[in-house]
Amino acid sequence: MGKLGARRITALIFAVLAMFVVAACGGDDDDDGGGGEGGGEAKSGGSITISQTSQPDFLDPALTYTVNGVEPLWLVYTPLITYKRAEGAEGSELIPGLAKEMPTISEDGLTYELTLREGLKYSDGTPVKASDFEHTIKRVLNLESGGSAFYLVIEGAQDYIDADKAEGDISGIETDDQTGKITIQLSEPDGSFSHVLAMWFAGLVPSDTPFKNLTESPPPGVGPYKVTESVPNRQFVMEKNDQFNIPGIPKGNVEKITTKIIKSLQRQTQDVISGELDYMQDPPPADLKPEVKSKYADRYEEITTASTYYMFMNTRVPPFNKPEIREAVNIGLDKPALARLFAGEVSPGCSFLPPGVPGYDEALDVEDCPWGNPNEPPDLEKSRQMIKDAGEAGTKVTVYGNNDDPTDKVTEAYADQLNKMGFAAEPRILDGGVYFQTIGSAKTKAQTGFANWFQDFPHPKNFMFLVDGKSIQPTNNQNFGNVDDPEITKGIAELNQEPELTDEVAERWKDLNVKLVERAWVAPYGHRKLATFLSERMDFDNCSLFHPVYNNDYSSFCLK
Amino acid sequence: MATEPALDQAGLQGPAGWEEEADREHAQGLGPWRLGLRRLRRNKVALAFGALFVLLVLACLAAPLWAEHVAHTTPNENHLSDTIQIDGETTNVVGLDGVPIGPTWQGEFFLGADPNGRDIMVRLLYGGRNSLMIGVAAAFMTTVLSIVFGTIAGYFRGWPDITIRSLLDIIWSFPVIILGVALGVALALGGIQIGPLSISGDSLAIPTFIIGLVYVPYMARPIRGQVLSLREKEFVEAARAQGAGPLRIMFTEVMPNLTSTILVFFTLLIANAVLLEAALSFLGAGVRAPNPSWGTMIDEGIDRIATAPHLTIVPGAMLVLTVLSLNVFGDGVRDALDPRAKVRLEH
Repeated sequence: MGKLGARRITALIFAVLAMFVVAACGGDDDDDGGGGEGGGEAKSGGSITISQTSQPDFLDPALTYTVNGVEPLWLVYTPLITYKRAEGAEGSELIPGLAKEMPTISEDGLTYELTLREGLKYSDGTPVKASDFEHTIKRVLNLESGGSAFYLVIEGAQDYIDADKAEGDISGIETDDQTGKITIQLSEPDGSFSHVLAMWFAGLVPSDTPFKNLTESPPPGVGPYKVTESVPNRQFVMEKNDQFNIPGIPKGNVEKITTKIIKSLQRQTQDVISGELDYMQDPPPADLKPEVKSKYADRYEEITTASTYYMFMNTRVPPFNKPEIREAVNIGLDKPALARLFAGEVSPGCSFLPPGVPGYDEALDVEDCPWGNPNEPPDLEKSRQMIKDAGEAGTKVTVYGNNDDPTDKVTEAYADQLNKMGFAAEPRILDGGVYFQTIGSAKTKAQTGFANWFQDFPHPKNFMFLVDGKSIQPTNNQNFGNVDDPEITKGIAELNQEPELTDEVAERWKDLNVKLVERAWVAPYGHRKLATFLSERMDFDNCSLFHPVYNNDYSSFCLK
Repeated sequence: MATEPALDQAGLQGPAGWEEEADREHAQGLGPWRLGLRRLRRNKVALAFGALFVLLVLACLAAPLWAEHVAHTTPNENHLSDTIQIDGETTNVVGLDGVPIGPTWQGEFFLGADPNGRDIMVRLLYGGRNSLMIGVAAAFMTTVLSIVFGTIAGYFRGWPDITIRSLLDIIWSFPVIILGVALGVALALGGIQIGPLSISGDSLAIPTFIIGLVYVPYMARPIRGQVLSLREKEFVEAARAQGAGPLRIMFTEVMPNLTSTILVFFTLLIANAVLLEAALSFLGAGVRAPNPSWGTMIDEGIDRIATAPHLTIVPGAMLVLTVLSLNVFGDGVRDALDPRAKVRLEH
């Protein structure tokens, strides 16, 4: 999901009015229903209306790469393997999805073998075939999806792209429709490949699904819900898929989920309060949050997500090419102050790997942080002295950020903090649409600035590639600081070869994370919280599961 | 003295009365400037708003004094983790939930803080400096360009007129805000690079240039119209017959007759330029962060309008007062200099 986008001028536009809610509770209790924590039983039936602030980038599993698209679509397209429907670390556990069992991985980590469950059908009744998997991956590659890079490790994937023939063959994928057997050959070992197979991109679609963006008419899938209506920029509707029955994956509770696109967060919040909406995907705006937290605490909850907010420091550009300068910035960075700009939605920390990702060390976010407890004010005097000693006092620094709220405010605050450390810093706020491309271009020579990352899957690799020396490239560089620590780069390469993320492997990732922080290659300052805010008629206690990978699980939602 | 009551009565009779009044005053042999000043002095409302504008300007000019000696901060200094004593109680400048403090009515944070913990009063005064500086500079640029283009086009007619009119029509065809936003966004990325002239994207010169440019047709066209009429007047014919060249005629015969129009336009232009600057800054195409301006301050506060309404109300009120005072005073100047004139900045 990468960076979390937002809006600016839209704050002015009071858009679309939100609508009708049909309350129709009742029906049979369902043991396979959504998760719950309250100890009660989830009721089935009824319809709910929920909201998103902006239209999902795509309503096509091969293409979507934003929270808006992924949160609903993972309930429509189940991959061969998937994640357990549970909160916390348990939710990061891989379980068989459309495959009978977890993949058999060869000793060299190059071959993955899976077998489809029998009798599976898509929501339109079409039987699921093993060859659909290859077609699914072909769509991802052929449509130049943002997720295509994950699948290039499959033998022949690059050749398939180079040949530019949609119906061509990916030599590394062998399927047998008779037995349901699927064999995947990798060109090199990839320790995160099981997670890659569990991504929404690999959610199976029929072999006759066209090679084009199907947002306006999403293809059938295998999941507890199916998309029955899609009107871009207005709404999309998901209805329960009666054909779905996979052990261990909930069938969903409510019959119909209508998602409205409503630009104004204020409006969404008011509608959830009044009951016109049952859930809003984005957290309430800072403006209304105090009211929501005080008056509706019984149906509002904040959860820290697997995300990291950090300042990149370009190690190829002065003054950040000096280790002592990067250390000084880490010491002087006022993390609690920055957290306030997120209205309490960021929990301060200095670990690069976030909570929920194997290798995360909670102590690093508190007392073990080498730069001081991130929840306390920084040692500005020490930072200032280090910068002075390094001969960089008064050095001009341009701080990059974008105009998404509150990134612009964070950028200005960071520039101000650098000034207090002794630099002559000026913020440069760019449009959110071009920001990451701009700072990811070597020509920009961006000195320092805002960066963040939300996990695509719960594997340390998904974060550590951001500081991998091998990932540096002249354009579209995600390693914004050009971090190239030989030991860390070598460690990442070695750990990528590990086929399984055992405790021992996780411990080694943890060591790399500590080295990254101790050597001050980046300046992390916290992990983002997201919120669940439901209407009065929703059963918040029994039916609100917050999944560590896919956020709010709509299949857990139920009415009182 | 004897004529004063009669003039006042005439002043109550509307435009027709003003014309009569003007004729009487001309008959007295007073010069146009003395007449204008005399009429302006009688327009108490215009004078009051003019005084208000002067007060606003003086307050903004005093921004560094307030910042240094009263608020003890700078316009861009963040106070996110700081606390302040109010009635003996320690209060966070920005709460843990991100809500900034409201007006304290004391030296520090007199009008409260913004989400970054910056002093609103200090930013308001510095923002006013920026807004007014851009407004006056842009109005000056528009005026100079309009005089040059309008006079050349009106006096020479023919191909210079066609060329200039076409150029002005191109600018005229775009709504001011749309053109301003388009130019603002484009120039903010790379700034302006013309030969040795280099202006960075976040310089205040960028919005000044944009605003100064987009209003040129709105002033140049009326000036051209007036010059077209003036060039046919007898005194211009007489000057030409005496062998005066075009430049001399323009400077000695035409320009003096444009002065009152230019003066009125200039005051109205400042008001419009301040307003456009606020609009562009609000839309992210004007003054760049962290520089304050009233437009950027409204933009920064719009997301907090429920919990911190002072963030938008205060700069909004300053904007309204400034534009209102300039418009009322500008109207007063127009009525004083030429009661028959119908000078309006319409777009």
